Amino acid sequence: MIEIKKTYKNYVGGKYVRSESGKTYTKELKNEFYELPLTSKKDIRDAVTSSKDGYKKWSSTTPYLRMQILYRLSEMIEGNKESYVELLMHHGLTKQKANKDIDESIQNIVWFAGLADKWEQLAGNLNPVSEEYFNISHQNPIGVVFSLSGSNLSLNELLMSILPALTVGCSVISYSEENSVVALKFAEDINNSDFPSGSLNILSGKFENILDDVSKHVEINLVALHKELDNNGLKSIEENASESVKRVFSQPSIEGLSSILPYLETKTVWHPKGT
Amino acid sequence: MQNNSTVKNSNNISWESVLELIYDSRVDSVGLKERVSSLATRSIKKDSKLQALKMVVSMCDLTTLEGEDTEGKISQMAAKAINPDPSDKEINSVAAVCVYPSLVETAKEKVINSSVKVAAVSSYFPSGQVPMDSKILDTQYAIDAGADEIDIVINRKAFLEGDYRKVFDEIVALKEVCKNVHLKTILEVGDLKTYENIRKASLISLAAGSDFIKTSTGKLSIGSSREACYVMLKAVLDYKSLTGISAGIKVAGGIRDSKDAIRYLVMINEEMGDEWLSPDLFRFGASSLLDDVLKQIKKLKTGAYQAGYYFPRG
Amino acid sequence: MVNWQYLESIESREILNIRSKYTNYIGGKFIEPNSKKYIETISPSTEEVLSKIAISNQNDVNKAVKAARSGFEIWSNLAPYERSKYLFKLARLIQERSREFAVLESLDGGKPIKESRDFDIPQVAANFFYFAGWADKIDLSWSTKGLKPHGVVGQIIPWNFPLLMLAWKVAPALATGNTVVLKPAETTSLTALLFAEICDQAGLPNGVVNIITGDGTTGSLIVNHKDINKIAFTGSTQVGKLIQKSLAGREVGLTLELGGKAANIVYEDAAIDQAVEGVVNGIFFNQGHVCCAGSRLLIQESVHDQFISKLEKRMQALRVGNPLDKNTDIGAINSKEQLNKITNLVDEGVADGGNIFQTECELPGNGFWFKPTLFTDVQPSYSIAREEIFGPVLTTLTFRTPDEAVEIANNTEYGLSAGVWTEKGSKILWTADRLEAGVVWANTFNKFDPASPFGGYKESGFGREGGRHGLLSYLKESS
Repeated sequence: MIEIKKTYKNYVGGKYVRSESGKTYTKELKNEFYELPLTSKKDIRDAVTSSKDGYKKWSSTTPYLRMQILYRLSEMIEGNKESYVELLMHHGLTKQKANKDIDESIQNIVWFAGLADKWEQLAGNLNPVSEEYFNISHQNPIGVVFSLSGSNLSLNELLMSILPALTVGCSVISYSEENSVVALKFAEDINNSDFPSGSLNILSGKFENILDDVSKHVEINLVALHKELDNNGLKSIEENASESVKRVFSQPSIEGLSSILPYLETKTVWHPKGT
Repeated sequence: MQNNSTVKNSNNISWESVLELIYDSRVDSVGLKERVSSLATRSIKKDSKLQALKMVVSMCDLTTLEGEDTEGKISQMAAKAINPDPSDKEINSVAAVCVYPSLVETAKEKVINSSVKVAAVSSYFPSGQVPMDSKILDTQYAIDAGADEIDIVINRKAFLEGDYRKVFDEIVALKEVCKNVHLKTILEVGDLKTYENIRKASLISLAAGSDFIKTSTGKLSIGSSREACYVMLKAVLDYKSLTGISAGIKVAGGIRDSKDAIRYLVMINEEMGDEWLSPDLFRFGASSLLDDVLKQIKKLKTGAYQAGYYFPRG
Repeated sequence: MVNWQYLESIESREILNIRSKYTNYIGGKFIEPNSKKYIETISPSTEEVLSKIAISNQNDVNKAVKAARSGFEIWSNLAPYERSKYLFKLARLIQERSREFAVLESLDGGKPIKESRDFDIPQVAANFFYFAGWADKIDLSWSTKGLKPHGVVGQIIPWNFPLLMLAWKVAPALATGNTVVLKPAETTSLTALLFAEICDQAGLPNGVVNIITGDGTTGSLIVNHKDINKIAFTGSTQVGKLIQKSLAGREVGLTLELGGKAANIVYEDAAIDQAVEGVVNGIFFNQGHVCCAGSRLLIQESVHDQFISKLEKRMQALRVGNPLDKNTDIGAINSKEQLNKITNLVDEGVADGGNIFQTECELPGNGFWFKPTLFTDVQPSYSIAREEIFGPVLTTLTFRTPDEAVEIANNTEYGLSAGVWTEKGSKILWTADRLEAGVVWANTFNKFDPASPFGGYKESGFGREGGRHGLLSYLKESS
């Protein structure tokens, strides 16, 4: 009996789409060959358009609701745990390692879900200015984030490249090269949960093809690289980014409160106190 | 005259227009204080200061409003008003003397043949807590006695109860009594408390036909403040841009020294301009201020600080 | 009716002791620049030559960075409490010599003495006081682990608030255990060099604060130095981009505080008289040489005419002239170069079809001056509505609804600050939420405090200065 294999597609604007170029690249994992979408420059532009729209919807979702949507994601992964473990094992992880990866993933989603309605209390504050003014620093999500995920086959690593930005209300374009099979499977759980379309777009391909477009695209507000690039790669990203003062973070911290700080803009509001 | 919305005052402004005016009374107290304190940093020296101090003298309403006032006291004050510093011929007379109605006749006799005017406080100054008929009688009495100017108080009871219409109508009625006699309306800013109230009361008083609006009776611990004056001058300017009428401002109560008086003048100068730098449109209600101003003038001219006994009692 | 003129009331220069030339301050000593090159520094209000300052070359930068590196060994190993005491001491000394600083700042930079005396220098002291207290409380500042200083920080500051920008940079850098190589702007270096004397007076360990003077070339030598760990820059967006590019691919921290084109939104239900004051303060403070200046006035159409008439009247009361006159509201434009830039943009605004109003005032014969200027009938496409003018020039645009106000306000690559004027609380919060700006002043403008974070969105830069957030600009997580 011939096995029916899944066709992997990018996930953009809440829909599964092929690369508009029609191109794929072949990924070999443990003697199996996967045809994965090879994201083009045009695909990136489409993803940014969708992410801008997703940002509007996601950032205006109440923290309480964002928390529940994130928590629901953990429920979905929990429900699909077996299939993730199977996929990871299929690609060479031991059962123990595969289980651990998924357990950690779930734990991290729950952690960030619980942070969704608290981070602003941790990162902002009332400032004691020396005149008759009310002065508060609160935080806005920075906007559209492009996040390059790491090269290990791991749901948890993928999540840690997405969750901090997503938790604070950014929309995320998650881009995977080596980890695409996991990422595109994960897209299914995103699709089945309640994230507004465009808040999380998941793409696969060769990063070098789109490096220039991503770093030059003015409507991407921040580029997070969760993967070590060769120095020339990082240099050209940062050079391109300087043209629009874009924020670039190479291997940002994924620890605790530090993980979310890059994705925040501090907005300080003054108002007089009078009668 | 109550509840008759067609009543118009001498400036021909309907009650509806007044309501529209006061509806937009928004004042931010912090921004207001910052502007006023920034104006207070002006450094006025030498000839500019001398000129200012002479202006202050000419703008003074020399005032005594006490139960103990006698004809003798009024005579002293009138003499001082006419010739504030006998040792300096450059010092002009003050603008007016301000007294209770019962002493208007005496004051009028004493200032005869001078430029000094006689102002009377009426309408049951300082509280105004009597029926309207009494206020009219009080005012009519002062006018009959020869007062050139009448200083009335607004009905704070009605104002704080929200009966702005009553406040307006009373001023309109008293203005009718005054006819051509100069009407100054005292807001008593210390009772009104907020700057928005001061603005509303200013606009009501202006629209009701007051020639001047005045900060205080001088009988409360909170008298005039530069902040209150600023709110009032803005109201005067807005009223002018609406009607073309230039009303005056009198600040009274708590202005003790020359420095403070000059700060008022700076504010008038920069916010209102030359037109208001005149006793016709700006006055200081003063008792102790005048002596300090005279001392400072002398100091500027001689370079030496002066003692109070160089200047005659008022 | 009389015409009452204020006579000049000039702040005395006698308190100053300006040297005929200034060298660099490196490793606790004033030393001759290796370059042997000096340029004259003039007073922009008279074009009088005040002194000469060094133009530092590569060797001078090397020396300064080396001194800062050895200073770092001492400074970062000091007990935090000791660092705190040094900063307190600096703060006190600045307070004590504040009049001297104020007069020098106004003379060298052209800003009114009223501002240097009542705003700049008091804020300088306040910044040192504020960060002094943080020095031994870094562990309490953020619930993130293992924060440590970057090391040697290169700091490049602009000419608009010379000493205040130094304070914004030096105080938090030192409090967090960094050492600095600071380059003031070449037109306004004198107060920084006077500050070097204060460092000496305070007995600050050698190499903790190094001040080298020079132009843009010196600045780029600092940016490109191999042993710098972090760059903090305040200046134009154009230069900021170049710095960001220079640092590409290098492990060097960076914070940028760049240009702005702030919208000052006046709704019809504002307290109009205070809004007029706020708009005037927003654009004419410091001759409009303010990156967060409220240079785009956005007025709701229903109050446009009334507001403009009050604004023009108020502008006419502004006193332009000698910066050392205590009654001056608007001083000199900082340099000839800046004056040309302002003039060109204003000419363009007129050519585009903008309706120009300038106050009637006499400008002094020498020096660089520009009349307070207001443009009405401006379309959002005009360059005066888009480009940072950095001068006393206000551009008016109109809007009909809150949505439209926010849309116009955000229609710029900048995102440093914004103003909102309305007496309706919910509208303030609604608007503030939607403005893409790092600082939103509601019913006020151009307010600063050491405790209040300052910095931009978008192309106005990244990182914050001031407050608890300002500490993060000088700390990194230990890996």
